[in-house]
Amino acid sequence: MTSVTEFKMATVAPALRDTFSRPRGVEARARRLGWGLLAPALTLLLLMTVLPTIYLVYFAFRHENLLGSGSHFVGFLNFERVLTDPTVWWDSLSTVQFVVIAVALELGLGLLLALMLSKRLPETNLVTALFILPLGVAPVVSALVFRVLLDPAYGWVDFYLQSWGLIDQPIDFFGDPVWAWVAVIGLDVWQWTPFCALILLAGLQGVPVEPKEAAMLDGASNLRLFWHIVLPLLRPFLAIALVLRSIEAFKTFASIFVLTGGGPGTSTEVINLDLYRVALQDFDIGAASALGICFLLVLAVVMQQLLNVLGRNTDILED
Amino acid sequence: MTIEGNAKSIGRRAAVKTGAAFLGGAVTAGALASMRVARADSAKPSRLTMLYATSEADSDAIKGALPDFKSAFGIDLTVDTMPYSALQQKAFAELASGSSYYDIMIVDTPWMPALTDKILPITDMILDPSVSDTTQLDLSDFIPKVFFDTAVYKKGQSYLHWPGQQVMEAAAIKKGGFEIYGLPIQANVATLAYRADMFSDATEQKAFKAKTGKSLSAPITWDDFTAVAEFFTRPRKRLWGTTMMAGAGDWATDDFKTLLASFGGDGHLVNDAFEPVFDSPQGVQALSYYVDLIAKKRVTPPGTTSASWDTAATAFGSGLTAMSINYHSETLNPMVKGSIAYAMVPKRLQYGPHFGTWMLSVNSFSKNKEWAYRAIEWFTSKPVQVKALATQLHPTRRSVYQVATQDADLSRRFANFYDVLGKSLEVGVGRPRLTNYADVDRAIWVAVNNAARRAEMPDVALKKAAMQVKTALARAGYKPA
Repeated sequence: MTSVTEFKMATVAPALRDTFSRPRGVEARARRLGWGLLAPALTLLLLMTVLPTIYLVYFAFRHENLLGSGSHFVGFLNFERVLTDPTVWWDSLSTVQFVVIAVALELGLGLLLALMLSKRLPETNLVTALFILPLGVAPVVSALVFRVLLDPAYGWVDFYLQSWGLIDQPIDFFGDPVWAWVAVIGLDVWQWTPFCALILLAGLQGVPVEPKEAAMLDGASNLRLFWHIVLPLLRPFLAIALVLRSIEAFKTFASIFVLTGGGPGTSTEVINLDLYRVALQDFDIGAASALGICFLLVLAVVMQQLLNVLGRNTDILED
Repeated sequence: MTIEGNAKSIGRRAAVKTGAAFLGGAVTAGALASMRVARADSAKPSRLTMLYATSEADSDAIKGALPDFKSAFGIDLTVDTMPYSALQQKAFAELASGSSYYDIMIVDTPWMPALTDKILPITDMILDPSVSDTTQLDLSDFIPKVFFDTAVYKKGQSYLHWPGQQVMEAAAIKKGGFEIYGLPIQANVATLAYRADMFSDATEQKAFKAKTGKSLSAPITWDDFTAVAEFFTRPRKRLWGTTMMAGAGDWATDDFKTLLASFGGDGHLVNDAFEPVFDSPQGVQALSYYVDLIAKKRVTPPGTTSASWDTAATAFGSGLTAMSINYHSETLNPMVKGSIAYAMVPKRLQYGPHFGTWMLSVNSFSKNKEWAYRAIEWFTSKPVQVKALATQLHPTRRSVYQVATQDADLSRRFANFYDVLGKSLEVGVGRPRLTNYADVDRAIWVAVNNAARRAEMPDVALKKAAMQVKTALARAGYKPA
């Protein structure tokens, strides 16, 4: 029995090895190669995103005195401080208000701009290049320019509005909450509408001619043509613009900081200004970390919803 | 057993000997190392580095003195300048990380309460004749208010102001449990700039006399100030009486605290027992007066409720106003034909202009502490400050003001600026000493801004701010006495 078994093993085993182990070796090598290729990106991600996030979580549960002794574990105290601060809730609402209004205006105006630029005219390239200019200006610089332009004492905007007889008294753009929001959102719209327009222009140029021609033959008006053919085909591009702009709009800091500094009073304070104040003026790293984590969690939920929108709308591209 | 026992006892002896040898070696090595550190510290470096502000502390004055510093010490000094918005973060980050890169650091008064563990006290070096040049240092020459408000702190209780008489002796300060943390270099204080050409105009003088029965001159009291401001307010000619800085920012707090002190209140806003003292009858009077000027009498140009130091200086420089209260050095645009003169910010019961001073300090992580100290002693000395008057440094020494007021060329260039600056510093009122002053500051400027926009009544705004300040102080661990 033993010899038979040994014989069988001696003859079958190499065959089995040939049959199974080679592909397994290939698979392992392929897997190693895959991990090897991924390693640089994963390392970078780990160093730049994952580790700082872990560090952030660590700090959120501590009172950190960067400039002296007395750092210690405080449990959920920082979260309690952040979540019971009415300013934080109010500023969160302001942030959402800013994002919703600014992004909606940018998408609407961006679509109009894209429709204008989609006409294949000789001037189109030049006009497109001009419209892209605001994208190239740093937010701090554009905010400084807007601040001077809107100054009620010597700014051009009030000067011309008065010269043309449109207003009697200069508008105090930064002394009135409503006008301050108009200025903040106006600056964002001026800066980012071209970005939306570019994405939508790319979409418009990809709209096939055939369905439009068919609809025109059937007597569809321009409006119906736009509503029933162009807009549905633009949905993926609108979704992409919506997601990208929303992410950026939630991160807005420099332009508001320079333009209004959160004023008048606290009316244009957004959550990023709070983060700046707590982290870099009070140097309360624990509370700033807790606020950052809360903001991150809320953003993660919002972004997931936006990505779902993107996923649903980009199906059309796969079809 | 015996052999084993011997072996064990030999082993123990050997272990004790070895331990003692290690310990002795470690102690000796430590002593040598500390000697090396001491020698390295006193060894003259080839280069020192300094972190400095920009225009807020007249960086041109420091840069202009660098060649003289090189000649005097044979050391290269590298100066990194940063605008205010980035400077605090830079300074705090350097100190928090224990970096020895900067030997000398400029420190603004509101930062200092948080930094007493990181900035090196220089009292011992001042008292050490091998390090300090007492003739150059001459502590008694510094303006007392400026010196004590800026540089003298108690370690571990950084909220305390020096309680004794303002006698500037390092030994007495040390004996009182306090330390000197630097030497003042640039003293900023609110002053009143006015258009001398308009004030001396015969037609204006006549008209003012006819309107008020008084002669037109720089206002001394707030009532005078109101009368002059109302007189010059001519919106159709795009001229207003004065600037004010009621915008959302530190400047609004500074405007308010100047008024509060002059109306008889405590301009420090929060006392050393951690009680908000601005929500008082004097505080309400001061803020009501301020709001009246802006919203009722309308003697300020449009945009005052969003104005800052910079916009106020621009408005005055552009010829939009006849007067301006500011920290900044004021200049008129070349297009505006006129001249400037200065006066102290008006008073009601007393003078109380807001002031804040920059000081040069030694980084406690510096590898060249003694040389860094010698450098700050030199930069704040009388001869260097006198030379820096050319770039309109705001000196911190009384003797430099004497030189400045007697210098005909400086008087021609800057009118009576130095005379007024010196007098204002003698009576200036600083800030409270709190590690979270930013929170207190913000609560108050929001109140001032809300009141100036008439979004809230002055008393309501101040009450709300006082509540916020109490919460912020409690959160920072300050418990009222």
